[in-house]
Amino acid sequence: MPEKEDKKLEDILRLIELCKSVQSSSVNPFEVDIKEKLMMLKKHLPEWQLIDVMLKDSEALQQLVGIVRLQDQWIKHRASSLYIDPMLLELKIRLLTREDLADSFVKCWHPVAQVDQLTARGLEKAFTYWRDLIPLSERFRDGLGNYAVAPGQLNFDELQALNIFTKEEFETRLNAIHGELVQKAAGGEMDYRRFIGAPTFEETAVRAYLVAFVVTEGRATIRVDPLTEEIFLSSTDGPAGTETKSVAIAIT
Amino acid sequence: MSTGDGERALLERKMRKALQVLILQRGRNPGVKGWEMKRYLGKDYKTILQVLSGDLKQLGMEVHEVPGIEGTDDSTRFLLRFRESPTLSEAESAGFRIDDLAVLASSIAMINSRQGRVGRKELETFLREKFPRWRVDYSLERFIKRGYLDQDEKGLLRIGWRTRAEVDEKSLMTLILARGEAAP
Repeated sequence: MPEKEDKKLEDILRLIELCKSVQSSSVNPFEVDIKEKLMMLKKHLPEWQLIDVMLKDSEALQQLVGIVRLQDQWIKHRASSLYIDPMLLELKIRLLTREDLADSFVKCWHPVAQVDQLTARGLEKAFTYWRDLIPLSERFRDGLGNYAVAPGQLNFDELQALNIFTKEEFETRLNAIHGELVQKAAGGEMDYRRFIGAPTFEETAVRAYLVAFVVTEGRATIRVDPLTEEIFLSSTDGPAGTETKSVAIAIT
Repeated sequence: MSTGDGERALLERKMRKALQVLILQRGRNPGVKGWEMKRYLGKDYKTILQVLSGDLKQLGMEVHEVPGIEGTDDSTRFLLRFRESPTLSEAESAGFRIDDLAVLASSIAMINSRQGRVGRKELETFLREKFPRWRVDYSLERFIKRGYLDQDEKGLLRIGWRTRAEVDEKSLMTLILARGEAAP
């Protein structure tokens, strides 16, 4: 678009912004010179070629109509006895005590009298709603999974009681997973999720559980990349250093 | 029964019906619109409401008309309201603190002095000179919810439908100015 047309389009965009700002504040709408703005739009109109620019032109015209409507309201309000100079009123309010203001209000206040009642129709509607209401445990199951069982924790003794682990088997499996890590990492780091990953979710969870023990014992370390949030696992020879902290990792 | 007695009985029946529909809230907001009144009472509903308002005078109540946005009879809302204003202590016992009422009085006056609309932030800044910040936020929110003030999507506050129904705005402006003159 040539520079000259750019300038004209800018005029229209500026006009739209001006009208919007006047409409969204308590600024005097007569600050906008409607005649001048209309002349400007009229002058530019035959020169527009693009449909997008023509749409902007019509938007500007619509905004000007909004300003004219505000000017109409402004005159009507000013002509009514409700109009008081805002500066004078602000000064009066500052001078008055809270009690004076509250007393002025109640002297002009005529509260509405009404009765809130429960109708037969309302009662029927409430009954239907309650009857058709799905229990909380089932309501969000599709969207958020099973809400009936809250997530909890199992310690090693409970796992033993459930016959998931025996003490001997646990030690053997800890050593096995550590050996696997030493082999796969080969003195370097390995992606945590790739390491614990297994064909089934149950097996993945068991591997994650075992890795957590290996890390706690100081035989491996976990590093989280703060930028990519990738988690890396590496084998260590000695016990864990002095600066240790817990990391919660979700397994899906 | 003579024709006169029949007409009187009909009028009384319609007045009872009018009182019933005015007292029992049907929609979200209180009051009954003109077209609904016409359906319940017939085309001479305005006369019936005038007679009812006269009868309710003894009980300290009146039927009040709030003109609708369209300015037509059908859009006019009719409400039952107290003819006499409550005292400050009665207002307090109805759950309004003096500070709340002072915030509302200032807000209504401010909006009216600014051609019927004022930015919420502008009003808050002004009110915070006189009231604590939390009180201003709490009161404005409460009065918007109750329909005393109306806030649009641009954050501009206007006079709400309940203020139009319950408050004599002209008297409020006059009283605030008159009290200001009496102040030292």
